[in-house]
Amino acid sequence: MSVVTSVNSTAATKPVRVPRRRTGNATAYLLVAPGVIWMLLCLILPIAMMVYVSFWTQTTFKIEPILTTKSWQLFFSSPTYIGALWTTIRIWLIVLASTFVVGYPTALFVGLFVRNKTLSTVLLVLCVIPFWTSFLIRVLAWRPMLGEQGAINIILQFAGIIRQPIEALLFTELSVVIGMTQIYCVFMVGPIAFMLGRIDPNVIEAARDLGAGFGKIFRSIILPLSMPGVVVGAIFVSVMVLGEFATSAALSGRKVNLLGNIIVTQVGSLKWAFAAVAGVVLTFVMAMVVSLFLRIVNLRQEL
Amino acid sequence: MTEGLRLEGVVRRYGSHLALDDVTIEVPANAYVSLLGPSGSGKTVLLRVIAGFEPPDEGQIWFGGRRIDGVPAHMRGIGFVFQNFALFPHLTVHDNIAFGLRNRVAAPVTDRRVVAAKVAEMVGLVGLTGLEQRGVHQISGGQRQRVALARTLVTEPRLVLLDEPLGALDANLRLRMRAELRRIREQLGVSFLHVTGSESEALAMGDRVVVLNRGRVGQFTDPDSVYNQPASVSVARFLNCYNIFEGDLVDGRTFVGPSTFPVAPGQPRPGTPAYCIRHDLIAIRAADMRPAGGEAGIPAVFIASEYSGNAVTYFFQLDNGQTVDVEAHLSHRAPEDLQTAQRYNLTWRADDALVFA
Repeated sequence: MSVVTSVNSTAATKPVRVPRRRTGNATAYLLVAPGVIWMLLCLILPIAMMVYVSFWTQTTFKIEPILTTKSWQLFFSSPTYIGALWTTIRIWLIVLASTFVVGYPTALFVGLFVRNKTLSTVLLVLCVIPFWTSFLIRVLAWRPMLGEQGAINIILQFAGIIRQPIEALLFTELSVVIGMTQIYCVFMVGPIAFMLGRIDPNVIEAARDLGAGFGKIFRSIILPLSMPGVVVGAIFVSVMVLGEFATSAALSGRKVNLLGNIIVTQVGSLKWAFAAVAGVVLTFVMAMVVSLFLRIVNLRQEL
Repeated sequence: MTEGLRLEGVVRRYGSHLALDDVTIEVPANAYVSLLGPSGSGKTVLLRVIAGFEPPDEGQIWFGGRRIDGVPAHMRGIGFVFQNFALFPHLTVHDNIAFGLRNRVAAPVTDRRVVAAKVAEMVGLVGLTGLEQRGVHQISGGQRQRVALARTLVTEPRLVLLDEPLGALDANLRLRMRAELRRIREQLGVSFLHVTGSESEALAMGDRVVVLNRGRVGQFTDPDSVYNQPASVSVARFLNCYNIFEGDLVDGRTFVGPSTFPVAPGQPRPGTPAYCIRHDLIAIRAADMRPAGGEAGIPAVFIASEYSGNAVTYFFQLDNGQTVDVEAHLSHRAPEDLQTAQRYNLTWRADDALVFA
């Protein structure tokens, strides 16, 4: 207002330009545009394309844009592919549970029991150190650990706990679960530790002062307050595990086939339509899982 | 023997820093004790040690006739009201208040109806009726304060520690909550140990006042004595209502500081040498009026005044640069018409002064 009046008094004859309210909106659109364009080109368009291709006609050597549901029928009538879907869901649930079981206590220690902020940051960085090597090395490193002549078997035999090496350790579903748990655990630890670190220490002291022991405090205060972290971690782990193919390929000896492995094989043999079906199914499962998690906790409110 | 809380020679160290240095105090049953000290004086540490969040390095804590310094916090039966309230952010007002009853290790209340009845009673006592189902972020600061209080009181502690409970409230609300706190305490017959950095709050609230200074108990007596007879210069300085002149007592009859002040025999108390006169006991006279018999005085230049409604504070500067505050309560005197940069004579009755030597 003061600007307007001063302009009026000095140059009364000239019309005063009042900044329009719309300028703010234009800036907002400008800011949001790159993101929207990116999402359209790299997410919405490919997904639409994938859905479209899944209805194309696939013959042994070529694929034609003639719409058909043959690939879909094949997917849902084949025990191999339905089996892969169930294996994917089973492995996902097991890995989700194991990353939570391993990750929560770690996060509890890093985020809550270590009072020193610098130290807890250092500990979190330590969790990330394995990521300094490539994904494949991290996965393959489990082979000499779990194999028949592997480190674990040697140690157990040396300690006299077992006489025969445990064969079930490598090239089984167990080895896939172990590998994935190790690789994805940190994605569970991070968000949970972050949420735990945000809990006001006074709140926990207040609960103690009101007479609650640690068990009660954990169940009624710490766990509920860290739930947003658990949900974010679970979403990270879920999305990555559901799309996995490398760990299962490297550690299961091709015995465990996930949807991801199906897609890789089909793309490898140029069966695009069929790979697209598996891709759509996988995307749908992920969408369901993520929306389920978002339903548990209102992240917008909690974070 | 004693029903209340007794601390004997409590020491708390952080590295080489003595946060609590040989603290011995007693909070009787059914009493309101305020704990006054500047920031960094160890007030909060003292409360945390009493509550059991930190162990004392030396000394003993007795409560209700038993020694409690080895007892974990959740078994002490001492309530703690946090400065930032520390409410459980994911619970409603009702569930916050019910938390202790439901979840305490010692004799938890499992009967829903008993919990509901006790919570309802407490909600009525602190004046939160109708807000039970609100989240703690959906109520005002004053209401959160009441929830924090109710949450502690409903567990029926015999002693409640309040860590600057009114610090987070605005001035208007603070005055109302003072009266509320006293009423609630009297109604329940529990003891309150109320930590505050505000001298007026400490004097207004406490039946007795502990003045804590650098981890040591500077004074522990009733509010009137603290105000009128601070035990040391540091207590007087912290009360923020004394002008303090440095200097020395010469042959027991004169205090030589920025000027010479007559001192009556028996007037000096042991302590760091200083001459203290309360802001509101000083009269402003014209520069040519000498102090009469039985009066002390010092010339000073008027700088500025500050009007605060019921009182005016005049600021003077001595020749050595020290500032002297003179407070005039307007119910007693009319505001004086003083000329800036003019010299005046500040005078007071010699036996109103506190002399340490």
